[in-house]
Amino acid sequence: MLLVGMAAFAQTADIHASSDKCAACHDEISKNFEKNPHHVVETDKHLGHAGFACEACHGPGAKHADSLAASDIRNPGKMTPDEQNKLCLSCHRNERTPVGPVADGHAKDGPGCVGCHSIHGADRRPLMVKKTADVNHLCAGCHQSVWADFQRPYKHRLAEGAMSCVDCHNPHGSNMAEMMRVSFANEPGCFRCHGEMRGPFTYEHAPVRLEGCAACHEPHGSANPRMLIRQEVRFVCLECHSNLPVPQPSTAHPTLGGVPPAFHDLRNPQFQNCTVCHVRVHGSYVDGALLR
Amino acid sequence: MRTLLLVASFLVAAVAQDQTAPAAASGSAASPDAPVATPADSPISGSIELGYRFVQGPLGNADVYRSTVDLSQGPRLIGLDFTVQPVKPLFDRLEVHASSWGGDPYNAARIEVEKNGLYRLTADYRNMAYFDFLPSFANPAASAGSLLTESSFDTRIRSSDVELEMLPGRWISPYFGWSRSSWYGDGITDFTAFPNNYPVSNSISDSTNTFRGGVQIQSHGVHLVLEEGGTTFRDDQGASDTTLNNGDYTATYFGEQLNLSSLSELYRVRGDSLYTKALLAANPLSWLSVSGQFLYADPSLTTNYTSLANGTFFLPATFLFYNSGSDIATADAEMPHTSGSLNVEARPIRRLRIVEYWSTDRLHNATSSLLMEEYLTTGSQFLTTNPDADRLVLNDNEQQIEVFYDLLPNLTVHGGERYEWGDATVRGSPLSEFPLESASLSRNTGLAGASYRWKQHVRASADFEAATGGEEYFRTSLHNYWKLHSRAQWDFLTGWRLAGDFFELNNNNPDPSVNLQFTSRAESASLSWLPNNGRNVSVLLEYTRSNVNSNILYLDPGTLGTALSAYLENGNTATALIDLAPKAVHGFAPRFSFGGSLFTSAGSQPTDYYQPTARLSIPLAKGVQWNSEWRWYSLAERLYAFEDFRSNQLMVSLKYTR
Repeated sequence: MLLVGMAAFAQTADIHASSDKCAACHDEISKNFEKNPHHVVETDKHLGHAGFACEACHGPGAKHADSLAASDIRNPGKMTPDEQNKLCLSCHRNERTPVGPVADGHAKDGPGCVGCHSIHGADRRPLMVKKTADVNHLCAGCHQSVWADFQRPYKHRLAEGAMSCVDCHNPHGSNMAEMMRVSFANEPGCFRCHGEMRGPFTYEHAPVRLEGCAACHEPHGSANPRMLIRQEVRFVCLECHSNLPVPQPSTAHPTLGGVPPAFHDLRNPQFQNCTVCHVRVHGSYVDGALLR
Repeated sequence: MRTLLLVASFLVAAVAQDQTAPAAASGSAASPDAPVATPADSPISGSIELGYRFVQGPLGNADVYRSTVDLSQGPRLIGLDFTVQPVKPLFDRLEVHASSWGGDPYNAARIEVEKNGLYRLTADYRNMAYFDFLPSFANPAASAGSLLTESSFDTRIRSSDVELEMLPGRWISPYFGWSRSSWYGDGITDFTAFPNNYPVSNSISDSTNTFRGGVQIQSHGVHLVLEEGGTTFRDDQGASDTTLNNGDYTATYFGEQLNLSSLSELYRVRGDSLYTKALLAANPLSWLSVSGQFLYADPSLTTNYTSLANGTFFLPATFLFYNSGSDIATADAEMPHTSGSLNVEARPIRRLRIVEYWSTDRLHNATSSLLMEEYLTTGSQFLTTNPDADRLVLNDNEQQIEVFYDLLPNLTVHGGERYEWGDATVRGSPLSEFPLESASLSRNTGLAGASYRWKQHVRASADFEAATGGEEYFRTSLHNYWKLHSRAQWDFLTGWRLAGDFFELNNNNPDPSVNLQFTSRAESASLSWLPNNGRNVSVLLEYTRSNVNSNILYLDPGTLGTALSAYLENGNTATALIDLAPKAVHGFAPRFSFGGSLFTSAGSQPTDYYQPTARLSIPLAKGVQWNSEWRWYSLAERLYAFEDFRSNQLMVSLKYTR
């Protein structure tokens, strides 16, 4: 067994170059890497790559060290996003991060991990951006139209630095649509700040549970007060509570909430703002009509 | 806050003590934001920025300004970031970040302490002003009394999160955390007593505490996270009024003037929940990876509610007026909520990837309540007791399979199918013959897309999905729809990047009782120029055009005629940011940025919103920088001109970096 072990070690040593050898040429990267959280791979024996941290990602480097040819070493920066993700996730999958667990890559075949994370800290870019403004700047680089929504007057205050994209979204994947972060166990991330809307309410307003906050709100930004999807609250309500005969359960395709609990004269301004009376529109503790 | 400023002052003094010759004297040109070389034995490195904001105005509607911008005049700690060098054996890294303290509406602080392989402690704190005094009435031509919004609040949201992770990076790593979120302040809400409603003052006070503990295990390609947590919730809001209030219904009702003379309304809500999380990921074979989640929570709430109202009210059930009404209610709600998902990714051959995803979400809310109402009028009393129960059931499922194939080394195409199905049961309308309403979800969606990369210079992707017919929960849900999202970026010369983004969602429901036609479109283009990595010049130009068009039928109960709810918005957003940092001359290297954003929309609610800005940074000495920033905020609502505001702001600050 000793012989087998020695042979295996000799083979490993044969194909690996060691981080010191890498540093001889890549001096600047090596110095930057010492300030990088990944440097723990170099120093911690438990992680299995002590002394070979560069090769943990770049693969065996002995051949490259001899030939100095770029083609003789793996460059994750030039790999496809899928290959990048596979490489990084071999260590980081399921890892808990401040924005939620690392479930997967960012998009179907979109930017890989190095699209957002600067592994070596080149150009003074950190491995992880942490300041809200920096996070928003990074995301806005690709999500231009979303960032444009935040330039509207009524919005979550990202442009003001109050929040960042990752306060609501987990860029590493989520079991909720739009990569929404989850709060508690399996509830939308919105409830992390708006806990009073979590419930369970004695009388629920079904769309909150069935289609989520975005059924009525534009969470990124809106030209409409209260960040609603329409210019006046009554139109948001009337699109579902239309008073029109809806298909009933006996028919093939019933829908919910077509008939409102009361008929109001919408010509009267008092009845044109539904939430003036239905103040508990997100759900009520004591009233089925959501009035209190 | 004072303590923080004091600490900040000490830090400034401490780091200033170590400061040697200024850059001007030594002749070195300190780049404004570049970290200054730190002496090897320096225990602290980082930056601190202190300043003062001057605000002119706001001119126009100050309440809308506060609801939209909310920046005020005064001294500010703009930012504080520092890292403490390793102190053996306590920690290897200690980082502190703080921003916007001293009266700004959004304060944040974060501390991270870590000793490699032993522990990692993070603490995060946010304090956000949540002010809303936006007129939310439907008809701007209504009487002046309605111009004061009847739903507003002057509140703050505070959230804290502390987490301690033991043995980070080891094969087994336990962790513990606590987080708290609270909302508190004052506001205006409405007390409704048919047919009138009365704006009254209310107090808001709720909080949620979450405790969690878990363990992360990783060994031989298997990653497992097990977490158990619990939450407590309390809501002690209330409304009160002691002044005579005629409400919105100012005419007499059957000869009587309705009014509210006093109100006391109190909620005492208590809730708790336990939850369980299990996340598993594994690579059982070199070509197969599997991950799954199981999530379960069981939140429950108990409500105690009392209200006492005096005035002149009308009771439709008896067709009589009454002068005093008191309500007592108790209620319980319980909502077990189970979710699970499974993701399998197979790579049977090198170029092919098959991803299968399945998820389920089951939520059953069952509640019971007892409401006792007492109405007093001259010489008589009415007492009613109303036991009630309610239900909301949701069973949602999704299955998706998608195949990715690398057609060329730079080109990946993918296609697949998603099937969503489920059922929901909710409380029926009082006008409906059914106490419960049910609906089903059945939607089959086709998926297709492609992504292309050429070296590091070109990246393009497109994703398309479409569904026809099926069943849905609501009239406005996706029915016959298609959605396209495409992005491209091209680095056509060194330092130059051109990018574009196109999104369109088209949804319609031809059912005669619905007749929904919805389109949402957004097109963006951006051009950036960062020669030499933007060290001396950077230019960013962005433009987005968006369009939302929605038409759906409803029945106007006033005319009993079918009406069209038509919504149209054509929005244009432009952002420009030009940053100039000329080469230093005699150690003087100022940096000048200007630009800003504008948004203008036409349609159902035309709006113009301008935010130009200009910033000048001048290094005064080694690591010391003077910043000044001018901002202008201007909102113009063409249909609601009384909401307009304008504000000029100037922030001057000193930033010290080492």
